[in-house]
Amino acid sequence: MSSHDQREPEAELGLLDATMIGMGAMIGAGIFVLTGLAAEISGPAALLVFMLNGVVTAFTGLSYAELASAIPKSGGGYAFVREIFDDFGSFIMGWMLWFAYMIAGALYALGFAPNFLELLHVYGVVAPPDEVGAIMLPLLEVAVPAKFILAFVAVAGLVALNAASTAASGSAETVFTIIKVSILVVFVAFGFFSAGGGGETSFTFQNFDPLFVEGSGPFSILPAMGLTFIAFEGYDLITTVTEEVENPRENIPKAIFISLAATVVVYLLVVTVAIGTLGAEELAAAGEAGIATAATSFMPTGVPIIQNGGALIVFGAVFSTITALNAVVIASSRVAFSMGREGQLLPSIGRIHHRFGTPFVAVLLSAVVMLGSVFLPTQSAGNMSSLFFLLSFIIVNVAVIRLRRERPAMNRPYKIPYYPIPPILAIVSNAILAVVLVGFLVQTDPLALFLSIGWLGAGAVMYVVLNKYRARGTEEEAEVPTDQPVTERTGED
Amino acid sequence: MTQDIIIAGGGRVGFQTAELLAARDEDVTIIEQDDTRVSEIADAWIATVIQGDASDPDILEQAGIEDADTVAALTELTGLNLAICLLATQIADEIRTVARVDRETDGAYDRFVDSVVYPEAAGARAAANKTAGEDVQSLTAVTGDVEILEIRVAEGAPAAGRTLADVAFPAGTLVISGEDGNRISKPDTKLTPGSQYVVAVEPGVVDEVLKLMRG
Repeated sequence: MSSHDQREPEAELGLLDATMIGMGAMIGAGIFVLTGLAAEISGPAALLVFMLNGVVTAFTGLSYAELASAIPKSGGGYAFVREIFDDFGSFIMGWMLWFAYMIAGALYALGFAPNFLELLHVYGVVAPPDEVGAIMLPLLEVAVPAKFILAFVAVAGLVALNAASTAASGSAETVFTIIKVSILVVFVAFGFFSAGGGGETSFTFQNFDPLFVEGSGPFSILPAMGLTFIAFEGYDLITTVTEEVENPRENIPKAIFISLAATVVVYLLVVTVAIGTLGAEELAAAGEAGIATAATSFMPTGVPIIQNGGALIVFGAVFSTITALNAVVIASSRVAFSMGREGQLLPSIGRIHHRFGTPFVAVLLSAVVMLGSVFLPTQSAGNMSSLFFLLSFIIVNVAVIRLRRERPAMNRPYKIPYYPIPPILAIVSNAILAVVLVGFLVQTDPLALFLSIGWLGAGAVMYVVLNKYRARGTEEEAEVPTDQPVTERTGED
Repeated sequence: MTQDIIIAGGGRVGFQTAELLAARDEDVTIIEQDDTRVSEIADAWIATVIQGDASDPDILEQAGIEDADTVAALTELTGLNLAICLLATQIADEIRTVARVDRETDGAYDRFVDSVVYPEAAGARAAANKTAGEDVQSLTAVTGDVEILEIRVAEGAPAAGRTLADVAFPAGTLVISGEDGNRISKPDTKLTPGSQYVVAVEPGVVDEVLKLMRG
């Protein structure tokens, strides 16, 4: 998960490492945090939700593969869009992607907290999660639920770590991801073994009947697709480390496709087991701790050392959410850092710290938004993050088409098959999900809608102010000639 | 801040130049016609490649000439290089142009391009250094991979105004001279904005050193 700035020159990531970075981000927290929420909206059809999202996101994955093979930059989606869009287009893309990652950070922190409480509960340290009372803050004299405090502390800790050290590395991510996937494999295996056991939560296909929630048709899965879309954003993360990958023009497209395919398979198996054992209703009731609750219901007890087999899965959830949180803390600060370096945010955001060597200001700024967002309801955080990923990916697909039209001679080591059908399908399907999601927000989540519009508004203001600031800077430079060439672009080009 | 640079001609000179610039984190686009060269450059993963003839205005536009800071025409043909630079200036008025030439020009091209490079002369200097013995080496042809750079500290850069002891340079960096090259550096040597320092750097950390000293 390191970027170009912190890499040891000899550290090279292979195909496996690149694939694991993508899978690590996707399998990280989405599956643990969002399964319960998806079941709440669409019942057993949550299975279809994850499957269709995999299909929709594969189209955008193709676009990422073509762009990453042709544009040798490590900045992810923002760097690609910067290549072809004018100042405002690329600014708003970076602005939205930055927000999507920050809110994803809050979402993962909110997923971490109840799972961590559940882990403590399994060992009898605290009461069941829903019975843990609020904690009084002595200075403010207000009671804050323990969940928020835990989420807050998790974000603050990882931010401090990433602000002061560049130790996080891609190879560590490989080990983390293998651990996460192994734990899920154990979960799936025991889930299927429980079939025919006759217990209350033994796996049975009766839990899938009826597939759709009563009173709503197949369309009820659309809002759930919007909400859980964030569970598939991992390929953007792969393209933020391309520079460190060996033979990138072959390995990056491969890593994108393999990680996506493997993730979809893992998701489908996990969701099948969770619904098949616990049933959609109970899964929904468990919310962010859905998978963990399902596991505790059928995993064997009396296992040496860890005592309760379910604890292994709960540990997996805690571990996954915290590593995914770390990944998005890094990713969000890298987007802001790239924007600063391109002159699209204040220049100080694009500078590394003179002693730590980290993008210090970018990390701290991202932290402010993340810390503020951990007080949101989990569902609002999921909605907003997914919405902004959907919008950003639409722009990336438009960038593919514009680049093909305006720069036909550009060398493209990987070309999208059956162009232009996949990017057009990606734009249409992402747009449908975005519209459905917005409609869903209007009805159920005005807070998320309000904050989303607010962030876009703040972006527009920021853009105008920055252009004024830069115009002033250019005038000053014209008066006092320096040896530094003026590289800022002024206005729209 | 990153510069946007177009290199016309991805042969030996153009490619090596692109590699050095990409290591400094500049934004490089290469224009190259030959299929084999194009895929070799793509393998090296240093620059976006536009395949075509750099003297074709459409190809120059696809390379993003309108927004570029500098175009360096580095093909083997002096006449072609000159044509590319003139064409570039026609399309983008403000652009800096660099043309590769194959003989001493004594300023003959100064009216048409901003700089000329004569790679054969630089090559000859390196050859002379080798042939005459190793006691005297010119700065531009150090043996091995270490680069000797003269860097001017930028106003507002992370390291500006701090002493060497205060700044944590990455391993593989040695600041050799103090302010404007008059003294050898000491821990309390101050990195004054606007002054130049001679720095020895290993290639892998050039970009990081530049980020610290240039911002």
